[in-house]
Amino acid sequence: MLEIRQLSFCYPGQSSGWTFGFSVAPGECLAIQGPSGSGKSTLLGLIAGFLAPDRGEILWQGQAIHNLSPWQRPVTSVFQDHNLFEHLDVFTNIGLGLHPGMKLNPEQASAINQGLTRVGLEGFGQRRPGELSGGQRQRVALLRSILRRQLVLLLDEPLTGLDTQTRSTLYRMLTEEKARGVALVLASHDEEDRRVLADRHWNL
Amino acid sequence: MPSPGKPMTETVSAAVFSHPRWRFWPGMLIALSFLVLVLAGLVSLLQAAGSLDPSNVLGNRYLRGVVTFTVWQALLSVLMSLGLALPIALALARHSRFPGRSALLRLMELSLVLPTIVAVSGIIVVYGRQGWFTSAVSAWLPDHGWNLYGLNGILLAHVFFNAPLAARILLQALESVPEPRLRIAAQLGLQSVWLWRAVQWPALKPVLPGVIALVFTLCFTSFAIIMTLGGGPSATTLEVAIYQSLRFEMDFSQAAILALIQLAICASLWWLAFRCRADTGLLPTSARTPHLQVPGWPGQTLINGALVGLFSAFLLAPLVATTARGLPALFSPEGLAAIQNQLLPATGRSLLIAVPAGLGSVVIALLTLAAARQSEGRWHSGLPVVTGYLPLIIPPLVLGTGLFILLRPSPGTPSEGWVLVSLINSLMAVPFVLQVLRGPFLSVDAHTLRQADQLGILGWHRWRWIFWPLLRRPMALGLAYGITLSMGDFGVIAIFGSPGQPTLPVLLYQQLGSYRVESAAGTALWLLALLLIIFAGLSGLTRPKGVFRTIQRRSPYA
Repeated sequence: MLEIRQLSFCYPGQSSGWTFGFSVAPGECLAIQGPSGSGKSTLLGLIAGFLAPDRGEILWQGQAIHNLSPWQRPVTSVFQDHNLFEHLDVFTNIGLGLHPGMKLNPEQASAINQGLTRVGLEGFGQRRPGELSGGQRQRVALLRSILRRQLVLLLDEPLTGLDTQTRSTLYRMLTEEKARGVALVLASHDEEDRRVLADRHWNL
Repeated sequence: MPSPGKPMTETVSAAVFSHPRWRFWPGMLIALSFLVLVLAGLVSLLQAAGSLDPSNVLGNRYLRGVVTFTVWQALLSVLMSLGLALPIALALARHSRFPGRSALLRLMELSLVLPTIVAVSGIIVVYGRQGWFTSAVSAWLPDHGWNLYGLNGILLAHVFFNAPLAARILLQALESVPEPRLRIAAQLGLQSVWLWRAVQWPALKPVLPGVIALVFTLCFTSFAIIMTLGGGPSATTLEVAIYQSLRFEMDFSQAAILALIQLAICASLWWLAFRCRADTGLLPTSARTPHLQVPGWPGQTLINGALVGLFSAFLLAPLVATTARGLPALFSPEGLAAIQNQLLPATGRSLLIAVPAGLGSVVIALLTLAAARQSEGRWHSGLPVVTGYLPLIIPPLVLGTGLFILLRPSPGTPSEGWVLVSLINSLMAVPFVLQVLRGPFLSVDAHTLRQADQLGILGWHRWRWIFWPLLRRPMALGLAYGITLSMGDFGVIAIFGSPGQPTLPVLLYQQLGSYRVESAAGTALWLLALLLIIFAGLSGLTRPKGVFRTIQRRSPYA
């Protein structure tokens, strides 16, 4: 269970901030709703460890994780863009998610190749992100997140601007993650995303 | 697909240099060490200056003359350099496609990478008493009265070096005019004054204070040019006076006061430039060819063509002269003997100083940038970078003088002196290497770092996979900078070096000083070829396909 308890944050120089509190069970998808500037991305940044909260707690299975560094948390993220290292090829982009020094064992290398095939990107391993379409890039980013086998998946507008077919593929992948017990936190403006994926909604 | 709970990812704690302190403390320690070094040099200068009575200088007619002449020649050099650079930049901006344009830009870069002493030897061959140009003019005007030595030569050499530098920076500013603004100007048919007011001046205005400060500083602290073309006490600058006080008169107090005066003037100028929001790079970094043409006045193309042609000839002549004189000198029997007896040992000494200096400048620049980024938003965030740019304000000869006084009677042996020269050269190259590395370093943006954080790509892994692929080429270019700036150094080496064991620039100076013009031409060509080989070898790695990168400038301290 991912629990957010009285988590408050205020950007430096701003007079007012946010206070968050909710929980998400494994295998559940919580959709965060709210207009632009309501703090959706800030909340995901806090859970991921990119931002440090002023007060409050983040717990996973009862263990506090808010003092951990981003790489120590059981969390992985997919954003609307900037998910990939532009100067590295697709295989390396995914591989770095499995070992930060790219020392992959055969099982990991095989998992990457199989994953690429599964998401319709067979033979794309040597391509750079700049050579991919938006949908292909998101599939690579999501594949990396899935292969990392983390327990919490944060999704910040991951499907915005994608075509229907790509969205269907990604919906399927995300639904499978839920079925495998991953807790999803989804920030999205899109009603369809929320309708297909979310089990609960939380308004900011 | 794998299921959660059975991690496929590896732990990251084993990555070397993972802790954020490795991104902060090395750069910060370097910055602090540099500050201490500078302060130690200044304190030793102050102590040597004793009572620090400026009236000693103001009351001394010779020294007063030196200060006045230094400022005067620098002002004239700025005026002439910018006076030439501005029309050249405007012409090149207007004519974005003509045969030889990129060759001219390369030529402008080449004149910037030239060690001062090499270019001076070429200038002497062209404009000296028996020079090509002088002889040609004498045929038409026998009583022209031209004398290269003195203010004439100083200004000529300063314009030779600084006009291309200023023109490249101004051209870059003009080429950075947003395309939509050019479109509007073209649509409205703006010409001459209105084109200047609406498009060109707004682009040039922000960079001008910086360009002026840069060119003034380079001319104000010019050393090799004054030493070779100065022509006696009436045309001596502060740098040369400091050098003479140290090496010949052993008057440390006078050297200290002169160094402090020089420091005060340079620092005030840069302070003023920053107050004017100076916004200029020290180097032109990339050329974007504008595709939009705006209307011109009748005959403009012809005049621009003539201007660009003359400017090209002006830049090319000393190089052609160096090659034409140097080749026969090098391949004569005496020349071949000189290669073995003089040039090879001097090359070894030069490389011994320059390679560590180049490597040092790259490492210092990288650590400085890392520390600056790591401390972003905190009170000390500016310290590393500000310190990195200190060499622009504190002339190397001033720093060298302070250290010379501080360390006397050491450095006793030549090798101790070389270590110091290498260290100072490396620090002096840092602002330029910083300029090369800053853009690529900052291109690793917050999104990328955020990803790397989440994936646990830290320490050595972060360097290997995130920074190295992006910085490999700029680092090679920075290294080329560091090495070539140090190879051409004829400022610091003059203080710490031993005349009996000269580096290539010192050897060249000795040959020029003893009127061995042929040998000097051979040495100049040798040094030039060596620099080009080093530079081409290293910068070849830095040039992405299809992108023309402009590079290099001359040593700020030669």
